[in-house]
Amino acid sequence: MAAALRGRAGALAFFAVAAAVPLAVRDQFFLDTLILILLWGALSAAWNVAGGYAGQVSLGHSAFFGIGAYSAALLSARYGQSPWIGMLIGMVLSVGAGLIIGYLSNRLRGPYFALSTIAFSQVLLIVASRWRGFTAGSEGIPVPFRPGFATLGLGHVAWAYLALALAALFYGIQVYLERSRVGYQLAGVREDEDAAEALGIPSRRLKVIAVTASAALTSVCGTLWAQYVGFVDPFYVFSVDLSIRFALNAIIGGLGTALGPWLGSILITALETYLRATFSGMKTGFAGIYLVIYGVALILVVRFVPEGLAGVAARLRARWTRAHA
Amino acid sequence: MLTLERVSKHFGGLTAVREVSLEVRAGDLLGIIGPNGAGKTTLFNVIAGYYRPDGGRVLLDGRDVAGQPPHAICRLGLTRTFQIVKPFGNLSVGDNVMIGALNRLRSVRAARVEAERVIETCGLTAQAGAPAKTLPVGLRKRLEVARALATRPRLLLLDEVMAGLNPAELAGIIELIRRLHADGLTLIVIEHIMAAMMRLAQRIVVLHHGETIAEGTPAEITRDRRVVDAYLGEEFVLAQA
Amino acid sequence: MDSARRLGPAQIGVLAQLGVSTVLLGGIYALIAVGLTLIFGIMRVVNFAHGEFLMLGMYLAFWAFSAYAVDPYVVLFVSIPIFFGVGLVTYALVMRGVIHASHNVQIFTTVGLSTALQNVALVLWTGDFRIVRPWHSSVVIRFADTAFNLSQVVAFLIAVALTVALFAFMKWTHTGRVMRATAQDGDAATLMGIDTDRVYRLTFAIGIAAVGAAGVLVAPLYAVYPTAGLQFVLLAYVVVVLGGLGDMVGAMLGSLIVAAVEVIGSYLFGVAWKEVLYFVLFIAVLAFRPAGLFGQRGAETLGA
Repeated sequence: MAAALRGRAGALAFFAVAAAVPLAVRDQFFLDTLILILLWGALSAAWNVAGGYAGQVSLGHSAFFGIGAYSAALLSARYGQSPWIGMLIGMVLSVGAGLIIGYLSNRLRGPYFALSTIAFSQVLLIVASRWRGFTAGSEGIPVPFRPGFATLGLGHVAWAYLALALAALFYGIQVYLERSRVGYQLAGVREDEDAAEALGIPSRRLKVIAVTASAALTSVCGTLWAQYVGFVDPFYVFSVDLSIRFALNAIIGGLGTALGPWLGSILITALETYLRATFSGMKTGFAGIYLVIYGVALILVVRFVPEGLAGVAARLRARWTRAHA
Repeated sequence: MLTLERVSKHFGGLTAVREVSLEVRAGDLLGIIGPNGAGKTTLFNVIAGYYRPDGGRVLLDGRDVAGQPPHAICRLGLTRTFQIVKPFGNLSVGDNVMIGALNRLRSVRAARVEAERVIETCGLTAQAGAPAKTLPVGLRKRLEVARALATRPRLLLLDEVMAGLNPAELAGIIELIRRLHADGLTLIVIEHIMAAMMRLAQRIVVLHHGETIAEGTPAEITRDRRVVDAYLGEEFVLAQA
Repeated sequence: MDSARRLGPAQIGVLAQLGVSTVLLGGIYALIAVGLTLIFGIMRVVNFAHGEFLMLGMYLAFWAFSAYAVDPYVVLFVSIPIFFGVGLVTYALVMRGVIHASHNVQIFTTVGLSTALQNVALVLWTGDFRIVRPWHSSVVIRFADTAFNLSQVVAFLIAVALTVALFAFMKWTHTGRVMRATAQDGDAATLMGIDTDRVYRLTFAIGIAAVGAAGVLVAPLYAVYPTAGLQFVLLAYVVVVLGGLGDMVGAMLGSLIVAAVEVIGSYLFGVAWKEVLYFVLFIAVLAFRPAGLFGQRGAETLGA
């Protein structure tokens, strides 16, 4: 047990605080921020499975997010079905789409894989925004609010714990990817595919599995996000900006680390919330300034802090240990 | 154990390997030499499953494995190292070798123990915790061997693991190869430098322009007129033998 | 043969119109793609922010036209040195530090640049669609059975002239030869005393100047908005991959192919779905023909 917890103190503290906040704070604004931090972190964790652990950098993950969001929203708005069923259908569809992207990851490397994923999400964006008869086109669809757990019509406290459970689950999946046989083999594939093959690792199959799993997890978050926010806009849920955001949190927090996605999410979500409050008068101005900052942050982080916050924390800890040894 | 039957590989109009046949029995230590561009590494790539041969058969224990992916061939007990070493640079030396050990072992803990043993055999214990990218070239070559050994191969293909080493490192790796061979491992060793090979291999195949031009004991090879011609301009290499 | 017999004057008119449209559009795409293939071929960097410089070129034309009533073709002359300078500054601030970094670092750096530029545009000009309508965009030229507006034809002619000039520069000037030598082998070039940093800086500036000029040229033809660059950049990548990476002649042929797909696709399926067509084409080309239609070097060499 002690071994399992070594180096996980930060994560434990984070989840403990996240669990305590809804008990102490009933302020909707704070709870909303907490829920978004957890959800955005979970999304980046889902992205991290492919982008961080398997080294398959996708810039089209909003495709899976949108599939999850639309599946549940359409099913509940049009057919009055539970969003949980929509979540399941979204996952199935995302697994299908993930297999396509996984196939591409075996044909293409680096920038070309990233470009093909952008193109993929753009295709879905066009379909969703033009297929008026089914998706309501570019106007988007409101998600009906029906109170109850089965319909995901929840209060802020319940949402906070649901998001926390999701975050803990995704954290656990990543820890598994760090410590398990398949996780180590995936690390080998990420570092050098040819060398991994020589060691008996089926690199192509592992990449497809990682990308597909990442797609399914992203889709789950898409469903929850749509139910929480209550509206699905194709130009938002399939946007490239959204895909970049998934990557951004993980990179700022530390690519291929389990807690990194939430560390990045705390920073970026807090920044967003702060700027939203500061520039609340001007809608486009707010979005613009916020995105300019995160574009610049991305450039600076990959250049100067490539190991992210988790890496910096590990380095500080090592220095501290050495100084006190 | 391994039989090549008239194996060929072309790249566009260029024939890198032409109808090469050879036979490796359990316990052999076969050397493959040849000038640069003779097709040695291409031959390894064909045997280990990185290239599909354009003609001929690759029989491992009597089974044609041509066209199977490298990981499947590794599972059958044949693996290789790379001439241009391919360490998992951001992972520790220990993790590198442990990932190799996971080929036969389901449990990470057991693989860790196995890796420690292999690391010791290869003399890398002092570097076990260091990131692989920090190793000097000589030790990277050892890491290549250690990682491949951890997969527990029956047949190991070594691609120029001696190139670029200083005399002390060279002696060390020759000693390691001898020990592995003495412990029953079957090996095929590619080397550009004939001198080292003369001291090591039982049998040598000489490739030139993708074709086998000679095969025999080291003593027979050095007397072969065609081999001398192939190495013309590289007499100094031969002179060291 | 049945369809051939049914080919009346009306059908021939349609074919002529589609053919000429393809060539006109292809010329403009060539100018967009040629900067991209230059930067990729010589620097080995995939620039995800390439489309944003096109978008900035369009805004430059819009701003000059709406505020000072300056015609885009006049702006063009100013835009080339301006974007050359923008390229130099961008290289110094952003690209220089990652030129030898891993692909992932280069991806994120240029993606970050793309996001930042898009949203600078959003803050400065809002997300509204802006349109530049100089007098020549409403002048219709009729030739045989075909009709085009003057802006389209002039944009094509200038784009071809600029592309040819760039091509000549690469082929016949000393600097051009040095750039091509660096493209062949950066390390060898360094050994021969070529200042690769200077070559990269120049390459990036030229590439940005080309795409900036393309932005000014297309301003009278397409609406401009902050993310206008995205569709063009994906398109430019299709062109570059089709033509073979770093191959300038290939890029021109690729431009014609992409333009043909777009023109014929719009005619058959309607404008609304043409984008789906070329995104699907893009994915298919990458997946099944990564080496391009004519080239030896392809997408698969990247990172290999």
